Amino acid sequence: MHQTPTSPRRRTLLAAAGAAALTSPLSVLAQGAEEIVIGGSIPLTGVFAFAGVGINAGMGDYVKMLNDAGGIKGRKVKYVPEDTGYKVDVSVAAFKKITSQNKVNLYYGDSTGFSKTINPELDRNGNILMAGASFATELNDPKKYPNQFLVGPDYTEMFGILLKHIAKEKPGAKVAFVYSDSEFGRDPIESSEAMAKQLGLSVPIKIMTPAGSVDVSTEVIKLRRAAPDYTIFHGYILAPIPEFITQGKQQGMTSKWMGTFWTMDSSTVMKMGEAADGFMGVMPYRYYYDTEKAPMLEKIRALRPEYQSTAYIQGFLAAMLFTESAKRCLDAGKPLTGPNLKAALNSIKDFDTGGLIGVPITISGNSIPVGRVYRADMKAQKMVAASDWIKL
Amino acid sequence: MTGNFDWAYLFEISLTGIAGGGLYALAALAFVMVYKATRVVNIAIGELLMVGAYLFFTFASMFALPLWLAIPAAVLGTGLLGAVIERTMIRPLLGEPPISVFMVTVGLASVLVGLVEMIWTADQRRLPDFMPTQPIMVGDAFLAPKVFWGALIAVVFIAAVLVVFRFWRGGVALRATASDQAAAYSVGINVPRVFSLAWVASAMLAAISGIIVGSIGGISSSMGVFGLSVLVVVIVGGLDSVLGALVGGILIGLIEALAGAYLGGEYKLLATFIVLVAVLLVRPYGLFGTHEIERL
Amino acid sequence: MRIGTLKETYIADAALFDSRTQKVWLAVGAALLVLFPFMASDYWLYLACLVSINVASATGLNILTGYTGLVSLGQAAFMGLGAYTVAVLETKVGTPFVLNLLTGGFVAMLGGIVVGIPSLRVKGLYLAIATIAASFIAHFIFANWKFTGGTGGLSVPPAKLFGMALDTSFRLYWLIVPVTLLMLLGAANLFRTRVGRAFIAIRDRDISAEVLGIPLLRYKLLSFGLSSFYAGVAGGLWAYFFRVVTPESFPLLMSIFFLAAIIVGGMGSILGGILGAVFMTMVPELLKLVVDLMPGGSELTVFLSPVRTVIFGLLIIGFLVFEPHGLAEVWRRVRRFFHLWPFRN
Repeated sequence: MHQTPTSPRRRTLLAAAGAAALTSPLSVLAQGAEEIVIGGSIPLTGVFAFAGVGINAGMGDYVKMLNDAGGIKGRKVKYVPEDTGYKVDVSVAAFKKITSQNKVNLYYGDSTGFSKTINPELDRNGNILMAGASFATELNDPKKYPNQFLVGPDYTEMFGILLKHIAKEKPGAKVAFVYSDSEFGRDPIESSEAMAKQLGLSVPIKIMTPAGSVDVSTEVIKLRRAAPDYTIFHGYILAPIPEFITQGKQQGMTSKWMGTFWTMDSSTVMKMGEAADGFMGVMPYRYYYDTEKAPMLEKIRALRPEYQSTAYIQGFLAAMLFTESAKRCLDAGKPLTGPNLKAALNSIKDFDTGGLIGVPITISGNSIPVGRVYRADMKAQKMVAASDWIKL
Repeated sequence: MTGNFDWAYLFEISLTGIAGGGLYALAALAFVMVYKATRVVNIAIGELLMVGAYLFFTFASMFALPLWLAIPAAVLGTGLLGAVIERTMIRPLLGEPPISVFMVTVGLASVLVGLVEMIWTADQRRLPDFMPTQPIMVGDAFLAPKVFWGALIAVVFIAAVLVVFRFWRGGVALRATASDQAAAYSVGINVPRVFSLAWVASAMLAAISGIIVGSIGGISSSMGVFGLSVLVVVIVGGLDSVLGALVGGILIGLIEALAGAYLGGEYKLLATFIVLVAVLLVRPYGLFGTHEIERL
Repeated sequence: MRIGTLKETYIADAALFDSRTQKVWLAVGAALLVLFPFMASDYWLYLACLVSINVASATGLNILTGYTGLVSLGQAAFMGLGAYTVAVLETKVGTPFVLNLLTGGFVAMLGGIVVGIPSLRVKGLYLAIATIAASFIAHFIFANWKFTGGTGGLSVPPAKLFGMALDTSFRLYWLIVPVTLLMLLGAANLFRTRVGRAFIAIRDRDISAEVLGIPLLRYKLLSFGLSSFYAGVAGGLWAYFFRVVTPESFPLLMSIFFLAAIIVGGMGSILGGILGAVFMTMVPELLKLVVDLMPGGSELTVFLSPVRTVIFGLLIIGFLVFEPHGLAEVWRRVRRFFHLWPFRN
């Protein structure tokens, strides 16, 4: 009988190829030994894609700018992103993949869940400083999360900035909280209620909307009956805020409407329509089109003529802080380990971000508790500054 | 104590709840249409809703068509999708256990979500406003106009469907196919055509529902979870009862509103699901559904 | 070519692995499993652990849905019960992980029995919908009970084996894979006993089964209990693996994932559960590899997530329409081809 050559030789060849495929990730070090690697679990697709795409572009642009100017003490910086679709297990897999293929010292995470899950791994690894898209209050704890930091104020601090502004504008005002039934939404509510009381404000009602709810009419009725002077929304991107505002106005509410970081991107607020004229919120960064003097912003505008979201600025700033920490670490002659990088980060005092944040910043813990209140001007289709830079 | 009870509040909440329930009823109607004719539980009903809303968004916002063109275009487009689904995924599974078809609709839901994300991205968007914005006042109670008009449209459609089922030949054919396929064949009813018709009608109703729901709450690729509440409505009302869809929708809308108002937002879904479990235990076939008799 | 399998005793007939070739391949497989962690990178070890946990849970669902015919969309909720039990015990009491895993399994088993109680009154799709309700109620409890950490969830310290913390994928491999193998063996043996045969009878025609003398409620509850025990242990392993348990960790989508896994793999066979879980877990990774290799790579990554969702749905639909008995059937056909070669059939 004629034997087709499928047997022993081919099988062993296949087996060898399989084994090689399994072990190859170990042998491929896809970076120059000199490069400093920033890894990223970035949500390029999925519900957070609008932010992920911006963050990705921001980080990539800053790294390119830095490399063009010579890198960090002559060493080039390499940015290695992976898409996660905003799912925690995919983020973790991406982390494992990138760290097994590169020597990573800096990492950007896409969500609160990921940051919490990967924390013990970071502690064990010991060589990575991590930042992320999340502003969760829990992460703002240098003892529990020693290798991580937030690229801005945490959600409680954001509320704090808004409350301070309210207390200044209208002492003793009634402030309602409307938030989503998720960890993101619930995060700052309790501590913010306490802070409000401290500032002499009252919180007549806290309304939680179920995730993915369509009809918020009952909630609007409750809100109207509480007759607040200000309403702060948190835990949403767009929906259901426009519906709240429209129905609230129809019912004759006179409350001023406010939001936190993820609602405050210019394009998102503009989508809210006519009714949202005057919508306010806290933003730790300048907007792309701000006309105040900001050299870094001008550089960004030169590089990217079309509007860049606040997520872009966040990514850009994250890369700036990453590389600044690395530079300080190397300047002090220390090896790039997690604790050293964190110490270098915490040595940042009165640092000029080139105008991305309006005042010089100091990072003493895990967050940057600075922000400004902006207001939506629907006619001009822009966000306009409504307060000074508030530091907590 | 009872003297201080805020009756006005209760009335206002109930009114909103009932009107919101009308929205549920319309989506539930789309579901019942398919089940009645083909005995298929279409868990992708929420996603069909989403497709209708997105098509309307495309025609009205992206192509800037006038309303009287955009709405029918979106509805017909979704109807076409319904026909395609029926032909490619449901027809080959005739005769398989109902669980298989159920799982096919689960797969279909995933496919639709993925397609929407590919074409329109997963960003949340708003639909152009087209409903009158004058708030509706019943005495002192306020009712959001969108919800009111949405509920009105829903009731009109349900009444229309009830009439159609009763008097139009196509409707009678649908009911005949629902009760006994073999008998329907033998009296000359074109059963495959009836199946297609049912799916197309269901998809079109879902599209209308989607446009209304979308204009209230915005559209996003996760709109489909609306389908879970609709599932509860049809179980409570009876999987194959049009009237049950209306009554069930109103009931669930009311319960959700009351739970949200008096207990808190997080209790809304919990309350609906507890009602579901209670109905399943006491009257598994729903308030108006037909009792299935199993034989050896 | 296998000519015939002659069995002389009942014991030989009921054996799980009957031919020498099977036993040889089994040994090779075992050797590979032992060697794998030493050869593979962290990334592949991570995947292996994940696949293993999914296999365990899918096998549990297979017992309930594939062998007993009770469709359940609550598998993720039972995993959540197990995971939370382990998390609470590990953080608040500090008992050894073996005890934690078993307790997690038992708590999930209790949950499963409770959810199964309506199964006598409601059948088929109605039961599936009741399990959806159960998973929502479970999610609500996890999210709103301070004891389980609310929406923030719980952080789980690593399992400790004789003082050594099991905190890398390498170390966890040696916990997760043997437990999964044990569970697989248990499931395979289950269907050699009368309990297993009773399950199959219930799936085929439950009224007839009752007529034959199988007490329906008791066996249905047993099926629910066993399958949720598996889910609970898998959930416990999940907790030790991911080290964070939140209410969002076990969404309805995960239940759908497991149901899809056993449909794709083949309901009603242990091999089907394994193949399905491996396949469904690896497809997203394979997709990523394919996209990486294609020329327009970076442009296409934007579509990666929705394409994954579409492919997930298409797999379910495709297998149901074209190969209802799943990958296991494909495997059987391949085996048959080799057994009968050079004859056709």
